[in-house]
Amino acid sequence: MREVYVIGLGITKFSRLEYPLIEIAAYPSIMAMKDCGLNSVDHVYVANMGGSRISHQTALGSALVDHLSLYPAGAETIENGPASGASAIKQGYMAVASGVHDVVMVTGVERMRETNNLEATDFVASLAHPLAEQIYGVTLPSLAGMFTRLYMNQYGVTEKHLAMVAIKNHANAMHNPNAHLHMPITMEGILTGPEASTNNPYVADPLRFFDMCPVSDGGVCLILASKDVAKKVKRPMVRLAGVGQATDTHCVHERENPTDLLAVRGAAEKCFKMAGFKPKDVDVAELHDAFSILEIVESEEVGFFKKGEGHIALEKGYTALNGKLPINPSGGLKAKGHPVGATGVGQAHEIVTQLRGEAGARQVKNAKIGFSCNFGGFGNNVVALAFQKEK
Amino acid sequence: MKISILGYKCTKCGTIHYPNRAICRKCRNEQFTVEPLPEKGKLLTFTHLYNPSGDFDVAILDLGIVELANGVRITGQMKIDQPKIGMKVVGKIETVRESGYKSYKGMVFYKA
Repeated sequence: MREVYVIGLGITKFSRLEYPLIEIAAYPSIMAMKDCGLNSVDHVYVANMGGSRISHQTALGSALVDHLSLYPAGAETIENGPASGASAIKQGYMAVASGVHDVVMVTGVERMRETNNLEATDFVASLAHPLAEQIYGVTLPSLAGMFTRLYMNQYGVTEKHLAMVAIKNHANAMHNPNAHLHMPITMEGILTGPEASTNNPYVADPLRFFDMCPVSDGGVCLILASKDVAKKVKRPMVRLAGVGQATDTHCVHERENPTDLLAVRGAAEKCFKMAGFKPKDVDVAELHDAFSILEIVESEEVGFFKKGEGHIALEKGYTALNGKLPINPSGGLKAKGHPVGATGVGQAHEIVTQLRGEAGARQVKNAKIGFSCNFGGFGNNVVALAFQKEK
Repeated sequence: MKISILGYKCTKCGTIHYPNRAICRKCRNEQFTVEPLPEKGKLLTFTHLYNPSGDFDVAILDLGIVELANGVRITGQMKIDQPKIGMKVVGKIETVRESGYKSYKGMVFYKA
């Protein structure tokens, strides 16, 4: 297989964006083409989850090719729930690595705030099992709440640890101009102070409001290319070194140990094996913290910390921006935002920005190897990516 | 007529699946028999959902995962004042969701 490089980057602010879905896809795509100086691509992959339901638009790949006048490039839309973004990157990787294409565009896009929060939550809940979960009113926050209670009971994680994830990621997002939330928060304000229960009510206990990611609009684009093309465009050489994907049961209740996230474990193992890295080699990571508990548990399942010790690493500051292994320097889904279909591309965008040394005030020093984990469903379909900076 | 939630028992290895699937997780057999799931079990975990979907006419929706007497687990609604992990519960089949003209029956758990 050929080596694959990320040669172009583009991103919108994650926020409420009052533009048509296709414009939210086009803006970062044009930015990425300008970043690498190319004005044509062989193929376009658009990652999106809610276009058909929320924005009443399908076949986004074709629409983006038309909007950017990229004909006769091939085009596809990739839907894999909240892991659509990294899935689309994986498709792009395979296309270039196989030699089928030399340059591909991978654009993630979502416009969720076109509807209200309850409808958006209901739309995301459509990925739960229709008969065994959805009919009961199960939503992703409720699955996360049940998971968190069990995890706390087994491993000694407390609400304070969950709040620490939120505080860290909100602080990181303050340095990210594209983050949805620019709102520093404190332990007193969200957990221990007299106003905490008002500021931070339960949503699905033991998870509170500030344990949840916001509902975001956003678009992100990566342009992937062969080594020959990458050398010509003269942007920093960042290689997509590994891709891994794994699945688990649809219903959370069917998992032998419901606190295990076996798809996260499996995806990371495959990704590291392909890249030839070990978890200890990683300098910076973006983990899918749609709920604060997930950053802690994923940091264990991907191999950064032992099972049950993720919250201890968090306490010690290992995962802070200036720690041994900064996690979610972008602010994560928690504060950067979660435009579901675009999120995995957003995570990869942050890692490549870090490896290029272009992350400004949130730059992780000497970052050479980066990792991202894009978590679909409630952990039933996970895609992990590994990147390496080359000289 | 008594309504039950059905488990799907593999005719080859005996594994009971809930919900149903086309191929057995353990042995890949494709034949199943159905049998009612037991009503008694213990509460594995739970949550109180404070922002349920508009289909639910309650401010707070209580949800839980229960390990039934035969070891099969099921997600359901709860009507329990002070739930605790590990407590004994009993399930009843009730209407769990009404959406327009559609009405869905499912398992609602009570303190045993």
